[in-house]
Amino acid sequence: MTVDRLSVQGSVVDAAPSGKKGGAPRARPPRSRLIDWLAVGPFFLFALLFIFLPSLQIFIRSFQDREGHFTFDNIVTAATGVDFVNAYQASLSISLITAVGGAAFGFLLAYAVIMGGLPRALRTFMMTFSGVASNFAGVPLAFAFIATMGTAGLVTRLFEAITGVNPQRDLGFSIYTIWGLSIVYMYFQFPLMVLVMAPALDGLRREWREACENLGGRTYHFWRYVALPILLPSLLGTTILLFGNAFGAYATAYAFSGSFINLVPIVIGAQIKGDVLYNPGLGNALALGMIVIMALCMTGYGLLQRRSARWLR
Amino acid sequence: MPNRRLTRRDFLKFSAAAGGSALLAACGGGAATCDPITSADTIALDTLTECATAEGQLTTIALPHDWANYGEIIETFKTRYSLTINELDPNAGSAEELEAIRANRDNPGPQAPDVIDIGIGRTVTAMEDGLVAAYKVATWDSIPMKDPDGYWWAEYYGALVFECNMDIVETLPVDWEDLLRPEYRGMVAMAGDVLQSNEAVQTVLGAGLSRTSGAFEGAAQAGLEFWAEMNAAGNFVPVIADVGKIAQGETPLTVEWDYLALANRDTLAGNPEIGIVVPQTGVITGPYAGGISAFAPHPYAARLWWEFVMSDEGQLLYLKGYAHPIRFNDMAARGVIPEELAAALPPAEAYANAIFLTVPQLQEANTYITENWRRVVFGE
Amino acid sequence: MRGDLPQIAGTADISRVARRLRRPSSRRASPWAWFWLALGMLYFFVPLVATLEFSMRAVRGRYTFVAFQHILSDPDFYRNFGFSLMWAVITMVISLLLVVPTAYWVHLRLRRLRPVVEFITLMPFVIPAVVLVFGYIRLYGSRPLVLTGSPVLLVAGYIVLSLPYMYRSVDAGLRAIDVRTLTEAAQSLGAGWPTILRQVIFPNLRVALLSGTFLTLAIVVGEFTFASLLVWPAFAPYMEDLGNKKAYEAAALALISFGLTWASIGIIQWLGRGAPGQTQVTGAH
Repeated sequence: MTVDRLSVQGSVVDAAPSGKKGGAPRARPPRSRLIDWLAVGPFFLFALLFIFLPSLQIFIRSFQDREGHFTFDNIVTAATGVDFVNAYQASLSISLITAVGGAAFGFLLAYAVIMGGLPRALRTFMMTFSGVASNFAGVPLAFAFIATMGTAGLVTRLFEAITGVNPQRDLGFSIYTIWGLSIVYMYFQFPLMVLVMAPALDGLRREWREACENLGGRTYHFWRYVALPILLPSLLGTTILLFGNAFGAYATAYAFSGSFINLVPIVIGAQIKGDVLYNPGLGNALALGMIVIMALCMTGYGLLQRRSARWLR
Repeated sequence: MPNRRLTRRDFLKFSAAAGGSALLAACGGGAATCDPITSADTIALDTLTECATAEGQLTTIALPHDWANYGEIIETFKTRYSLTINELDPNAGSAEELEAIRANRDNPGPQAPDVIDIGIGRTVTAMEDGLVAAYKVATWDSIPMKDPDGYWWAEYYGALVFECNMDIVETLPVDWEDLLRPEYRGMVAMAGDVLQSNEAVQTVLGAGLSRTSGAFEGAAQAGLEFWAEMNAAGNFVPVIADVGKIAQGETPLTVEWDYLALANRDTLAGNPEIGIVVPQTGVITGPYAGGISAFAPHPYAARLWWEFVMSDEGQLLYLKGYAHPIRFNDMAARGVIPEELAAALPPAEAYANAIFLTVPQLQEANTYITENWRRVVFGE
Repeated sequence: MRGDLPQIAGTADISRVARRLRRPSSRRASPWAWFWLALGMLYFFVPLVATLEFSMRAVRGRYTFVAFQHILSDPDFYRNFGFSLMWAVITMVISLLLVVPTAYWVHLRLRRLRPVVEFITLMPFVIPAVVLVFGYIRLYGSRPLVLTGSPVLLVAGYIVLSLPYMYRSVDAGLRAIDVRTLTEAAQSLGAGWPTILRQVIFPNLRVALLSGTFLTLAIVVGEFTFASLLVWPAFAPYMEDLGNKKAYEAAALALISFGLTWASIGIIQWLGRGAPGQTQVTGAH
């Protein structure tokens, strides 16, 4: 018992965030600059060739009209056209719903398998399943949900068998709404949350829990005063990640309801690929708008992640 | 060097040179007929075959195998002329096809399409942007719908029909107005997306033409209003229908091209039973147009393809896929259409009121419908 | 030793705490944990079951697996899946070689570059794949640099798409181990950089890299845009094509694909299980 307490005490001290570690000064070989470039050079070269240069197109073509002349029209239309303002509103709401909902339930799932005391095998199961599910999107996912809750879906038929009422045919209920699509989006939002939060939850040391109990705290106190404050930046950061993920989702939204639900990626797709609309300048301007929003999200995410990293070292 | 006696070596050199140039002349004689093509005139079939074989490949785009029997058309062409066919994205829309041409302008590789198959309304853009090359196939004169200079020509057409899953749909609709009946609540869908698909735009237009009794004036607006009513009544299922959703029951009443509906009926083979109805009014036809990329890496193979597709044999293969070949009337007049193939289609009387719109009309309708769709139907 | 004990008021508290310590709380299975898990499983599996139910209706009047048989006897299925699997592995390897040294260096030495690197790794989320692929074709498909015939562009596209996930796992892994101490220890034993990377960093990151490789595999197998527009016989275009033609087989294929990807990830997980856990490695604690 005494030994336990000593180890608890020791770990609590160690767990305080330490800035500099004392110890031997780092050896710095004179060739360090060259090595630096060698280590990160390939990555930056790759990014330049295969991310920046091709995307420069988006930026350039946003300012071009169909003949290739310079114009601000696209940007103006993208920011103010009624269709597009509605699309942004719809995209923002579905992203918000699925980010918050996905983060909340995803967190609970991560908690369940990592800290809930469940058999280890279930954790492996959940992690590998999340790997697949977070990428299950597009046509198969849309079809799976139509086959579940659509007019002739499995759940709908069961409901009809029990209550005699078909929600779509008799009540005019429709799944092709922002809420319906949100339910579909959760399929890749929950797993993404699990995958990202699992290492963070893992980093919550058992000793902290024990220390809390040592001081007379119960589960509520642990979460309120220890775990959530530590995890909050990471939680918020991942919520923003989920937001961005939902905002940019195209394949699933298109497979689910085509252009019938007005979302930003759908509108972009219609401008770039469409049979009839075809205004790549406008499509690119919309994509640029999307990039700006996402960049803001990602910056927020990055800042928050950095804050939480201190505790989880 | 002053006068050398002719040695055997010299003689050998000379004959080698003579033989070489003779050989070159022979090859050159063959190669000379595969010059870059500059005119739209018909090229003789054997020249085409020879030069196409030299090119060795053809790149197509947006030709799903189940669409108007393209699968068999491609296979037949492939085996007959021993060419490799690179099939790009079968689901590409017309604008994607044009974008693929633009993006691959300088690319001689297999990502650059040689031949395209686009909605007829898109031909104007193709020509304006200089994306297609002119060519007149051997059967040019019997093609009723085409660009006079040879930049595009219609290949086949179909009419929009109502494709019904008979497990769920109890009574077949007879005309467009029937679709508004309460018994079809939560059942009616389009087979494409209005903002991206030619087929879906025509679905709107067809309903409109039914309401204006065939007059083009105001048909686009009438069509939009029809679908707005469909949406308000809850009959419209806002999802892109496909064979899976029809069979599963999500979209048991789908408006689709007749050749696609008939192909679906075959695929499903009674599971479930599919009923197909040609509407009484608003029988809108949607011809598709063929063209050759102006930057085609395999220009001879491209022209050989069109010679095949626009020949009697190629056109009959379309018919086998339930699509009406554009040269149908000409071929019927010459009696080359086999009985069974003609019988497999819905009866000719159903097509008696088929409406063929002109390209400018289609363009105008396209623009109007896509610009106003969301506002009129969803009130956004 | 008694003198080391913190001040705790009252023996009642001591005995309560003692009881708690005898029963480590983290091993008690909370009923809430089971509840959330069950709810999650319900949500994830019902749509899969619905797809299965539909795929089994391929023959009228009874449930049958004939749709699955059709897929599994189609040589195209194996060819396309094999192609995607192979390129997934290649993508994983190249991606690791690109990302790990960079993440390591940024973590250790070039801290100022971290925001830049993170921004780069988040860009793929934001750029539509269709825009990217046309960008590649325009830039690298015309003379003088015609890369469109080789798989370079395909792999580059795959790497770009999986970059966010790969970088994140490596980064998380690096944060969890004491990189500085390990590096210094290795250096003081005379190791050069390649040795450090190969024998110290990579092995310690094995566990963390697993989730990055899972996601890379899932992404490559499911990726459609690049494979389709660059004309490669990958799995996703095959699935898309089938989806347009055959109703029941398409549903069966979706499930088979899900199962195969899950199995592949399971294999990677199994291969990585022998690695030392993160806590053991850091020793100094």
